[in-house]
Amino acid sequence: MDPQTEDYTGQRRWPRLWQDVAIVTWPSFLVAAVATMICFAFIDPVLIGNDDYPPPAFASRMTGYAVGFFFFWLISALSSLLTLYLARTEKPGPPGTALPDQRERNSQ
Amino acid sequence: MNSHDVQSDGGLYEARQKIYPREISGRFQRLRTIAAWVLLGIYYLLPWIQWNGRQAVLFDLPERKFHIFGLTLWPQDFFFLTWLLVIAALSLFFFTALAGRLFCGYACPQTVWTEAFLWMERKTEGTRSQQMKLSKAPWSAEKLLRKGAKQFLWITFALWTGFTFVGYFTPIVELAGKIASFSTGTWETFWVLFYGGATYLNAGYMREQVCKYMCPYARFQSAMFDRDTLIITYDEARGEPRGARKKGSDYKAKGLGDCVSCTMCVQVCPTGIDIRQGLQYECIACAACIDACDEVMDKVGYPRGLVRYDTQHGLDGERRRILRPRTIVYGTLLALLITGFAVTLTSRNLVGVDVIRDRNALYRERADGLIENVYNLKIVNKDDQAHEFRISGEGIPGLIVDYLGPTVYVASGQVQSIPVRVQVPGGSLQGGADVVIRIESVPAGLTASSKARFIAPVN
Repeated sequence: MDPQTEDYTGQRRWPRLWQDVAIVTWPSFLVAAVATMICFAFIDPVLIGNDDYPPPAFASRMTGYAVGFFFFWLISALSSLLTLYLARTEKPGPPGTALPDQRERNSQ
Repeated sequence: MNSHDVQSDGGLYEARQKIYPREISGRFQRLRTIAAWVLLGIYYLLPWIQWNGRQAVLFDLPERKFHIFGLTLWPQDFFFLTWLLVIAALSLFFFTALAGRLFCGYACPQTVWTEAFLWMERKTEGTRSQQMKLSKAPWSAEKLLRKGAKQFLWITFALWTGFTFVGYFTPIVELAGKIASFSTGTWETFWVLFYGGATYLNAGYMREQVCKYMCPYARFQSAMFDRDTLIITYDEARGEPRGARKKGSDYKAKGLGDCVSCTMCVQVCPTGIDIRQGLQYECIACAACIDACDEVMDKVGYPRGLVRYDTQHGLDGERRRILRPRTIVYGTLLALLITGFAVTLTSRNLVGVDVIRDRNALYRERADGLIENVYNLKIVNKDDQAHEFRISGEGIPGLIVDYLGPTVYVASGQVQSIPVRVQVPGGSLQGGADVVIRIESVPAGLTASSKARFIAPVN
């Protein structure tokens, strides 16, 4: 093997914190986009609460869509965050199973 | 890669080493450039195309209507969008099984925009080695100028991208006018900046890290791979043992393989992997290493293809198969779904009617002995042209539909609300019955109907 190419692989990893931010925000972003699409295909935001009283929840559809999107993003990001937290704080398993970190390394 | 080939970019992601992929030309890079031009061309030009006096492709969110050339989709047609997404997902499976990660290398927006940003970086900061030298150099007028020019290009391009994105959802000509007069709405401004900012970060800074850490497809595509999937691969049997040699020397006598250990394949890799270590999930199948290796092989006079597109079976000297259960199943499913989609879409009803009961009164007993229910009809015209509708009803003997007629005009792509009174002779029913309200366009003959509950007193 060529020593020139050997020692670089481990270097170009994002720091853990950046990985965590990325894998929490990105999948939840995708899910929120889909959820927004489904939700507002069936619900017209200006019709939410639009009776004589209370007044409409959203002044315009664009506001409704945007608020809906960020709401979904927040909710799904919380879910991703909890999942990540549980996965990261997992105790070592019984003999023969690996720590999360080792599993990650082995599967590459 | 040499240790001096990577260095910290000192910015957002402190600890990561920035990759400076070496620029490379070759047949696959030409293909990728063409693909990038075509895709970016479509993206940036499509919203400007007009069709029948309106924007040809407009996902009009404020009006809750999607226009795609002659086709108008309504929230009720959401089903088609879902269907389309299923088709898109299955296509990805199909092409992945067939040709590996073609999508990643040629068509993924992340790749295409990264290529565009890399191109701007090269125009302003020079070649790979010039870029690395510039980054290490102390700040000077030239460095400031070059870095500043790059940022200017990046930011302008990113903002234009964000503007185009919003132009798919709000008429782009109007939007351009609003931007010119600084009178864009809050959300328009917000989404231009949001999408522009995301482009800037993703294509300018995060680049291959998105593929490595954030892309789910990169992780699960291996499930669609088999030994007949086209991959980019290094012919280990031919290349090893690798090593430097003098040109024209009898390397085979020295026990060397065809790999001259020039590391070009590693230097050109945008994700910074060594293809000679085998298939890795970081590989986005951009084929830069193929072009690089072919060039070197040409120079040293060896046959091309030490790094090439091939299948595992091909590499092992076995028969390559395109038709196999996996591709047949994916292909058949895909063909069925696409046919079904086309048939359903072309034969879908272009008019529709919703019947909503008037909430104020259950029924009214009229002086002339008729029992009357009031409804509000919403007539939808999804067609490209206006229609006149006649309204009728059935379900109870002697039923009359009374409305401001004789026909109701509904413009193309509009919903018309119209109150109707349905009357039946007193005593013809007890309690309630279902009635069917039917609309028919004249003279075109497009029909739609909807059920409603008719309520009568119990005597």
